[in-house]
Amino acid sequence: MSVNAKWLQVIVDEDEPRPRLNTVTSCMTLCDIKCDNYVRLIAADIALEDEPTATLKIFRGTTLHTELKLNGIPAAVQSFYSDESEPKTPIIAVAIAESVLFFRNLKPYFKYTVPGLGAEELERDLWLKLPTVRVEQQPALVESLRSIERPKMSRKSQKLIQLSQEEQNEFILKYADATVMRHPNIVALGCLERISSDVNPPSHLVIATDNGDILVLEPQSFGLIYQAKTCDYETVPSMIAVHGTYETDFRIVIATRYGGVYLLRKSVKEGQEIFKISHPFTGLMLLPVDQTITVCAMDCRLVCYSKKGKQLYVNKLPALPMCMIPITLPHLGLTLCCVALEGGLVQLYLQRYLVNEFHMVSTIGAMCFGRTGHEDYVLNMVSVEGEIFVKILKRTAAFDPSELLALKGNVESKAMVETILEKSKKSSIFVEQAAREKQNAKTTYGAFQAELWRLRYVAARATVDAINSSESTISGDITHAPVKLSAEVCGIGPEFRLYLTIQNMSSYKMASNLTVLLHADRRHYTLNKSMAKLPSILPGVPLKIDFEIVAVLDPNLKLPPHTLTIENSQIRVMLLKARQTKPLIAAVIAMPQSEANV
Amino acid sequence: MGMFKKISTFFKNKSEKVTILVIGLNNSGKSTIINHFKSPHEQAAITVPTVGFSLEQIRSEGVLFTMVDTSGAWRYRSLWEHHFKNCHGIIYVIDSSDRMRLVVVRDELDTLLQHPDLVNRSIPILLYNNKVDCEDSLSSVKIAAALGLHNIVDKPWHITPSNAVTGEGLEDGVHWLVQQIKSMNSNNKKLKR
Ligand SMILES: Nc1nc2c(ncn2[C@@H]2O[C@H](COP(=O)(O)OP(=O)(O)O)[C@@H](O)[C@H]2O)c(=O)[nH]1
Ligand SMILES: [Mg+2]
Repeated sequence: MSVNAKWLQVIVDEDEPRPRLNTVTSCMTLCDIKCDNYVRLIAADIALEDEPTATLKIFRGTTLHTELKLNGIPAAVQSFYSDESEPKTPIIAVAIAESVLFFRNLKPYFKYTVPGLGAEELERDLWLKLPTVRVEQQPALVESLRSIERPKMSRKSQKLIQLSQEEQNEFILKYADATVMRHPNIVALGCLERISSDVNPPSHLVIATDNGDILVLEPQSFGLIYQAKTCDYETVPSMIAVHGTYETDFRIVIATRYGGVYLLRKSVKEGQEIFKISHPFTGLMLLPVDQTITVCAMDCRLVCYSKKGKQLYVNKLPALPMCMIPITLPHLGLTLCCVALEGGLVQLYLQRYLVNEFHMVSTIGAMCFGRTGHEDYVLNMVSVEGEIFVKILKRTAAFDPSELLALKGNVESKAMVETILEKSKKSSIFVEQAAREKQNAKTTYGAFQAELWRLRYVAARATVDAINSSESTISGDITHAPVKLSAEVCGIGPEFRLYLTIQNMSSYKMASNLTVLLHADRRHYTLNKSMAKLPSILPGVPLKIDFEIVAVLDPNLKLPPHTLTIENSQIRVMLLKARQTKPLIAAVIAMPQSEANV
Repeated sequence: MGMFKKISTFFKNKSEKVTILVIGLNNSGKSTIINHFKSPHEQAAITVPTVGFSLEQIRSEGVLFTMVDTSGAWRYRSLWEHHFKNCHGIIYVIDSSDRMRLVVVRDELDTLLQHPDLVNRSIPILLYNNKVDCEDSLSSVKIAAALGLHNIVDKPWHITPSNAVTGEGLEDGVHWLVQQIKSMNSNNKKLKR
């Protein structure tokens, strides 16, 4: 099927040694590390045998090129550019425990350590006492150290309580004077790119720590320039998604281990909870276009929320999601959501529509998408067994929801046909029912009327919901070209002129088959023309259209009717697309008070 | 390079024009190869990635060779097909060291062979297995197998290893291509009579 012909699978030679890699999505990045225009995959290989170790591996295509030993298990790896000077050398940031190590040309270049936190009072007191008491009394004190929660304990104490009693005294004497400090651990990294005409602009590094701190580092000096809290109480972030630039405005979405998702803006120093779910997250995404937040969680659901926390849609996933990444295709003007599921299925969603899926031989545990080698759109995948798979997007691939929708639609209409029960009119059930209806004509009629009203009510409510849900000035449905509506009311009344400007925000799609519909209370406003079919709107060329609105005034009093209040002096504008029941945009225009006719 | 001097003697009719389309993925060495065909004083020391396409005309003994140097970057590959109609031969350049993109090379070749402007034409295709000097380059035999070249039966094709930097192997390939075009021309003339 054409749906599956969107990707080319890179074939790896059978007799070649196949590198293995055990990693997670946050520890994978793509970077032109040698400055030779060849973008390499860089990933932290984490070995969890008896002694956990990690190495930074650099791949050329699918072959391993360089390895670098790391002195700890990284939580995240990011690559970015730090300055504008030529030749541009990328920096690799590796977050290990409380520090970020910066590598340049594969050499350690800088180390940033997050601000330390004061230790608990109890712990500090114990460390004052420990070197002074006799050796026999030490175990008791060490025992009381254990009452402190592990994450709140300094590393020094953590080490101490792991030691055997014989070793403890020596350790205490050795580290008696060292400060009792604890450091939060880094859990996630992100990058805020500077706006620039350059393809590789410098970025601010965003750091999330396990005590809920969000830090932003300056690109060149790696100095701390912004610090905020995830929320007003202590929580543990697990994933972050960032958007914007540090200089103007940015948004950081933080998902926590406890299922909360918080939004942090530049202007505030504390995030706001936008929604909460009861299952652990496996993926978080902030869509750049419409600023919606998509999460996938262990309840096999892919849920999209608005920035205000309103649930926009839910996609049921056929299996447990392992990881999720955004796939941005600028040439199509789309960002797809790519979810790898347990069992090897990988699905791509465009908003609520499944647009593509493919099967891998085993479960994919980590993914990374972007320019790799000399090719622009490459999906690098690592299975949970450690095998690397590479897929390249076909040049001709397009992701049209109608393609799969048409398939789905067929299934639905078939189901409809099947639900109509086959029943002969002369069956005994029919005859009996007809007789019963004759006997109880009154109640039958009453029941029918009640149900009819209920149906009308449900329909009316659905209509109101549909109109309210598209209440914005930019159309949200990205299966069509996004359009923007702005309005201007001119005149002092009773005759007004309403100017509407409709703009096509897409860069390549035409917005066609659009109709504008105005709706106003007939007692208050008279519209000569309330509907207008629009010509096709090209990207970048706004369309202006005007309507005449006459406010109704009492012919004697020259005053508006008493039912007109400030709240209801409004006109609804709806932008409709042919063959689509839900309006693209529904906006309300507040009308100014009308002057009497002179 | 006296290569074209030699080749152009094949063509009896001195006013003949031959257009050769040079395609291949970005960074495969197309511009470097064309650079080699130019006369020494026109040669550029370094190649920069081509944007869109550029025409290089090489006139030799009255025969005008037009080399269409295309860009192999993702967004420009769709422009290749516009040149199919008016070309007499195709040079497809392959970076033999870029193993990851061999599937893309094959996909683009398959798309090309099925294009309406080429599908019924017996146009000669020369494949340069370029960058053979690179350490992880694949042999022509392996490339031919990976691309499924043996399935091409209606068009003459030829694969030859090359090193565009030194010029090694380029002459052999062009020699084959020009002979093919020449025999095709004489066949056409026979048919006309
Ligand atoms: N080692 C090696 N490098 C080559 C060869 N051919 C081209 N290159 C290099 O590959 C790069 C891209 O070449 P270019 O001609 O611009 O590729 P194009 O995008 O196909 O036009 C340049 O840096 C060339 O020097 C070759 O045979 N061997
Ligand atoms: Mg070029």
